[in-house]
Amino acid sequence: MTKKWSVLVGLVLATSMVLSACGGGNNNAASSNAPASANASNAGESASTEASASTDANDPAGNANGVIKASDMSLLPASAAARKDTLIVGMTAPQGIFNPLFSSTVYDNYVNDVIFDYFITVKADGTYENSLADSVEITNDNKTYTYHLKQGVKYTDGTPVTVKDYYFALKVYLDPKYDGESDLTLAKIVGSDEYKNGSATEISGVKIIDDNTIQIDVSDYDAMTQVYLGTIPFISEAYYGKGFKKGSLDSIKALNTKPLGSGPYVLSSYKAGQEVDFTANDSYFKGAPKVKNMIYRTTTDGTNLSLIQSGETDMDNITVTEDNVEELKAMGFVDVNILPNNGYGYIGMNLKEKKFADQKVRQALTYGLNRKDIVEGVYGSYANVIDIPESKVSWAYTDEGINHYDFDTEKAKQLLDEAGWKVGSDGIREKDGEKFVINFSATADNPVVDALLPIMTQNYKDLGIDLKAETLDFNAIMEKADKGDYDMYFAAWGLTPDPDNTVYITNGAQNRFGYSNATVDKLMAEGRKELDTEKRKEIYKQMYQELNKDVPAIFMYQRTNMYGISGRVTGFDLSPYKDFDLSLYQVQLQQ
Amino acid sequence: MLSSQVELGISIYKPGGILMRQYIIRRLLQMIPTLIGISIIVFAISAMVPGDFITAKNNPNMTAEKAEQLRHIYGLDKPEYERYFIWAGNMLKGNMGDSLQHKQPVTEVINTYVWNSFIIALATLILSWVIAVFTGVFSAKFQYSFFDRIVTLTVFLCMSLPSFFIGLLLIKLFALDWKLFPVSGMTTAGHNDAGWAYIKDVVKHMFLPTLVLTMLSTGSLTRYFRAGMLEVIRQDYIRTARAKGLKEVTVIFKHALRNALLPAITLLGFELPALFGGAMILEKVFVWPGIGQVYLESINMRDYPFMLGFTIFLSILTLLGNLLADVLYGIADPRIRLK
Repeated sequence: MTKKWSVLVGLVLATSMVLSACGGGNNNAASSNAPASANASNAGESASTEASASTDANDPAGNANGVIKASDMSLLPASAAARKDTLIVGMTAPQGIFNPLFSSTVYDNYVNDVIFDYFITVKADGTYENSLADSVEITNDNKTYTYHLKQGVKYTDGTPVTVKDYYFALKVYLDPKYDGESDLTLAKIVGSDEYKNGSATEISGVKIIDDNTIQIDVSDYDAMTQVYLGTIPFISEAYYGKGFKKGSLDSIKALNTKPLGSGPYVLSSYKAGQEVDFTANDSYFKGAPKVKNMIYRTTTDGTNLSLIQSGETDMDNITVTEDNVEELKAMGFVDVNILPNNGYGYIGMNLKEKKFADQKVRQALTYGLNRKDIVEGVYGSYANVIDIPESKVSWAYTDEGINHYDFDTEKAKQLLDEAGWKVGSDGIREKDGEKFVINFSATADNPVVDALLPIMTQNYKDLGIDLKAETLDFNAIMEKADKGDYDMYFAAWGLTPDPDNTVYITNGAQNRFGYSNATVDKLMAEGRKELDTEKRKEIYKQMYQELNKDVPAIFMYQRTNMYGISGRVTGFDLSPYKDFDLSLYQVQLQQ
Repeated sequence: MLSSQVELGISIYKPGGILMRQYIIRRLLQMIPTLIGISIIVFAISAMVPGDFITAKNNPNMTAEKAEQLRHIYGLDKPEYERYFIWAGNMLKGNMGDSLQHKQPVTEVINTYVWNSFIIALATLILSWVIAVFTGVFSAKFQYSFFDRIVTLTVFLCMSLPSFFIGLLLIKLFALDWKLFPVSGMTTAGHNDAGWAYIKDVVKHMFLPTLVLTMLSTGSLTRYFRAGMLEVIRQDYIRTARAKGLKEVTVIFKHALRNALLPAITLLGFELPALFGGAMILEKVFVWPGIGQVYLESINMRDYPFMLGFTIFLSILTLLGNLLADVLYGIADPRIRLK
């Protein structure tokens, strides 16, 4: 097979993934919650982002995270080289909600992040540093937050940025009619309930001291409070506030495609489904961006490699597969950046069912499943089997005292025996007259599920467990999961920079398993309340050790993401927590 | 779909006359109960599908209270029948609501994307009809000839290849290897052309998707015209026309073709919704900013207002297409008018 044809076959495969993803849907369902996180939730990690990789046993790379530098810049396409002052970034089309208060996909956020500014911004390691804030004072037993805004910052229309704009954004977030996904009530600002659900016309806990100083009282604090308060966007009240009154946000939404901020770039034109064009804001307070023009161009999985190759885009997020990595390397002029994904795949079990309520059974099901084979089958060397629900790059990650549950059928059998599940006459285990049968709700057209089911069925058969699978639409499975009407399913969670979450706490909003563990609840609450990172590390270590032992779900893998970036573009500061858009203003084009 | 053939049997009108106006008004009135029926079915199906916009979002940080609030704001917490009446009532007032995903009125979202789909669909329609008429006529004229066999083979080949496959094949050949056309998109990124330069840019970009769509749709049309033509050229009046010494071209294109085209009017009526419906798969392959992929996304994301609004929009077009076909049929064919 010649090289060219393998490109074509690759294209066809990639597109068939895209197409099959239509069934599972939600490939854009990335979301950001309370102004806090820039996380992607990746509903079900459906096929378009989770396209399968061929397993290449000869690949010596091991788990190749990191950067593979361009090998031969002379291969740079002429069209790209001729574009001296313009950077073209390929990505999935945004929805056209260019207002951080209302946007809900990562692609809209990519646009918003270069237009709007916040008091704080995330650093590569997942912690935060001051951005618009000059300094922050925390007093009154962590319940009063005083923000000092940098002097002399202006919006791109020349008007000054003041804390009144910040307060205006707060009011929109807490408006009774606010229908964005952010949830500022979590910040527990004094008076937010009276404003949101009562007749108050101002938020009593906010005090504007002068144009550059604002003081916010909260009724209760936790580790997230600073993040909630620090990531409120500055939106010009003079521009967005025209026609605004409590309970009516239409005039603000009407400006969704005409954003105005103080960020490094100014939106110059938007063609829905095609491209978003920006020009540099020369008076950006962190220094004028070095690249004059920037374009976000719409691409899809099927074409993003071709577009980089033809020089029509300078960078794109490419699905990590061994083939795609090879393809990018072969282009010669592309830097391949492979980064761990903020999220993990897991198999959820309905812990309200007697059979799964037993810790030994859950451990047995983990031991008895050849996770390594499954993960390698799907992602080759570009994903890791995990044993705790945390990213390897998080400060909260720990490997201390963590059991790896390496594939061990004998151990699994022994645990099942101990749990009282004895092999019956037909080879299927039973206890108290109940046969060990698992009904697996499988997502249609999901490559992970496709790889998982045959191996799992065989592995569990060896244990004396009968696995039955029914294939359903992703939304249907999620609904079943929320109702508790299921045995087992595969899905994936996104992870925020902060380890705090509600997936494993008793009655937590995202706790679909019905999991309840007093130790985990206690440690989660402690970790949330503690502000010192070193102390939090210790708390979360214990928490992950407990989760690791108790197996609330079968943790599967953490996969990777890949950016193919033309070698002519330098200066990105990329990390799993700090996406490319946050360092765009520092980027340079080689001439 | 509703068959216009059935309706034809009771078509009673005279073009331009009072009868015709009455007929059209009556047909329009008949559309009302049909539309009500459609709206109930469409709504019921969407309500029965598991999950809603909030579950589809699958936001890992959303609290149960927040989800509840959003459902309340979106009105998803009300019982289904109530939601239906609210929705239907708004539709009657011409208010399709706001798309949950796009946070703007559904009509605006449709307006943003539908014309991109329309230009491709229109170009495809014209091309495929012209090609199909000619190949159909010649295939019929020279039935079982070498030409006929080649045409038959080609059209079946084009029809049976999956569209995304041809699409990618063409991208590889025309865009990557020969560099004749751009890989994808509708305009060159970063160009803000106006006037002719813009039109040229768009035509260049729409060439490949239009080619694929034409390949797909010409096939069946060709067979249709060939069959129609074969039937007509065996008629007595064609023999008469030849017998009185008319030129073969006149016989075929004036006498035969016009009659063979009559059944095609029905097809043309069905093309109306297709013009605005978008092509989901090809829009994805060619990254064409059309309505098809937006529609598909709205179904996956359970964006009810858009999903329902656009479905109803297409239903109305289908009904109007039917009506249009019947009226045109009457104008074109005196035999089915009531004397």
